[in-house]
Amino acid sequence: MMPVDGRAGLNCVPQTAADAGSSITQQGFKITTRKLPILKAEPIEQMTAKLGIAPPEMIFGDNMVSIEHSSGWGVNFNTYDALDRVDKTGDSMLQVAHSREWQSTREKKHEGITEVVKPFDWSYSTDYKGSVQSKSPAFEASTKAIPLELLKRPDPILFFDEVMLYEDEMADNGITLYSCKIRVMPQRLLLLCRFFMRLDNVLLRIRDTRIYVEFGTGEVIREYVAKEEQYEVVRQKLASRGQDVPAQLRDPNNLNDLLLIVDKSLESLVVR
Amino acid sequence: MSDLDKAISELRACKIIPEPQVREICHKARELLIEEANVVQVDAPVTICGDIHGQFHDLMELFRVGGDIPDTNYLFMGDFVDRGFYSLESFLLLLCLKVRYPDRITLIRGNHESRQITTVYGFYDECLRKYGSANVWRYCCDVFDYLALGAIVLGTSSTLEPSFMDHSQAIEPVDNDVEIEIMNSRNEVTARFPRSRRRLFESEALNSSQPGTPSKIGPSGTGATSDAGGSLQSGGGAVLCVHGGLSPLIDSVDKIRLLDRKQEVPHEGAMCDLLWSDPDEIDGWGLSPRGAGFLFGSDIVKRFNHLNDLSLIARAHQLVMEGFKEMFDSSIVTVWSAPNYCYRCGNVAAILELGEDTSQGGVISRSNGDAGRSLQLLPSNGIPRSGPGRRYRVFDAAPQDPRGMPAKKPVADYFL
Repeated sequence: MMPVDGRAGLNCVPQTAADAGSSITQQGFKITTRKLPILKAEPIEQMTAKLGIAPPEMIFGDNMVSIEHSSGWGVNFNTYDALDRVDKTGDSMLQVAHSREWQSTREKKHEGITEVVKPFDWSYSTDYKGSVQSKSPAFEASTKAIPLELLKRPDPILFFDEVMLYEDEMADNGITLYSCKIRVMPQRLLLLCRFFMRLDNVLLRIRDTRIYVEFGTGEVIREYVAKEEQYEVVRQKLASRGQDVPAQLRDPNNLNDLLLIVDKSLESLVVR
Repeated sequence: MSDLDKAISELRACKIIPEPQVREICHKARELLIEEANVVQVDAPVTICGDIHGQFHDLMELFRVGGDIPDTNYLFMGDFVDRGFYSLESFLLLLCLKVRYPDRITLIRGNHESRQITTVYGFYDECLRKYGSANVWRYCCDVFDYLALGAIVLGTSSTLEPSFMDHSQAIEPVDNDVEIEIMNSRNEVTARFPRSRRRLFESEALNSSQPGTPSKIGPSGTGATSDAGGSLQSGGGAVLCVHGGLSPLIDSVDKIRLLDRKQEVPHEGAMCDLLWSDPDEIDGWGLSPRGAGFLFGSDIVKRFNHLNDLSLIARAHQLVMEGFKEMFDSSIVTVWSAPNYCYRCGNVAAILELGEDTSQGGVISRSNGDAGRSLQLLPSNGIPRSGPGRRYRVFDAAPQDPRGMPAKKPVADYFL
């Protein structure tokens, strides 16, 4: 039977917050961003079947950022691939702060209901570093860091965009999201793709992937840094600084230096 | 013009009202709400709305699309506050309207109408920012504790009346066979679904011979109703409205009536479940992967509806891109009324209109406990119970006031 929902009322495709695509080409590198509304019911069903897990509540399945070189090399960040790297088994599943309290009272009253439905990592933690479009040249381990000094120069920003891939409110137990931010200057670009998760009273995570491109030399650097810290530790650090804790906890930029590095990698390649 | 009417017109203009007046309105609202049962009885016609989340301009759009109070009778299923930038104005306006027209608007509690949740998700910060102290937040939280947990809509029609705004066009008679109609914000019909999709679950529910199939006859939504009862008549049956969903501790609407609701939303128990649980494509009950919270399947909803003589459960709580989503052979519907949620999702919103059953000269075909009374009205061919005629009005986000809104184009910054 056909499920009934608003998809029949098709005259109402919203245009807000939608941006079907914008791009810039700089010295052989084409940078494209695409921003569209969250997915409708049918594509969500398709994605659920393909992924094998329930996608996040706000799923910007059509959104993406890509960097393509005229040689055929390219890297892009898309929602499906980011979610495909989420643990689908439930082995690394987090539990909300009041879970133990909740379950202890529940076990006594409802012995029948103990099965967790479709367990998976519902924090949607991903170690996604982007989808590379061709095998060569391949990223190789490197020791050369992203040249921050060059990025701190006030060069004109020719292109700037922010693209959300997914977001989930964790049933009001915090926030988890994956967002991308890109700026293109005349000689270089920086793309920051960030996974941020705050499970209230439990844990904070930031996983940053940075792609740096120097147009003149064709050098591409990819840096991945994963950080974590217990919620309470961060809360105390913020409180001792005398800051407004709830507001600070909403902005990953304020938390970056309070979390401990748990994983890190540096790679590079040169495209010609 | 009374102070209350002045406050309403200020709030309609998205302006805040003085703190002493907030205090007074909250006090009056509490006096009204304290008299309401845990499950408020609402007579059709009624327009059912889902989450608002402080999106004030979209609430104004909702009233434009659905009609203004008191012309339209409204039922809001909670989550008035948090996330959006105008939780205060949105909630205080709804509250003022409640005080002004208590019989034309029903407010039930969502999981965001809680001290703990509002401190994390924006309402508390908004009160501090707009009033310089947490007093207004405290007044509002005291009101939250008195909000009803659910509502039951009686006297619905199984057919659709012409839309109330149809007089602008040539009145097109709505076929009696139409069960679902979808309209856009310009009052144009975009889809109709005939009642041919007879629901199969009645026979399933009956055949599975669940223990506790009622044998008494009583009002819909009480443990005393009968399978011989109520909605086999021309009416559309009773509709239960809750914010989240069902609870394994609750097998009858009467059990909701027995809860002590006047408290902060607890972390566990029936009251928590009603505000937090979600339907899912599973059998029976399940635990959410999050470690707290229940999921319930199709069989649970169908059994609950059968035992309580309900034709439909309407709930909110979950974002749906299309504004509404019927599940489990139309035994439950999610209604979502915050378009372009969080100002970035690009989703549409919907409200659900249920018409009034006037087929018996205005005598509502409500089971009232008279044994056998409804039996006379049984159709001889034994057509199974079917849901009320449902009109969904789907609408987009209002053009936003530029003040305080996130810029559509992100502002370039030298991030590292």
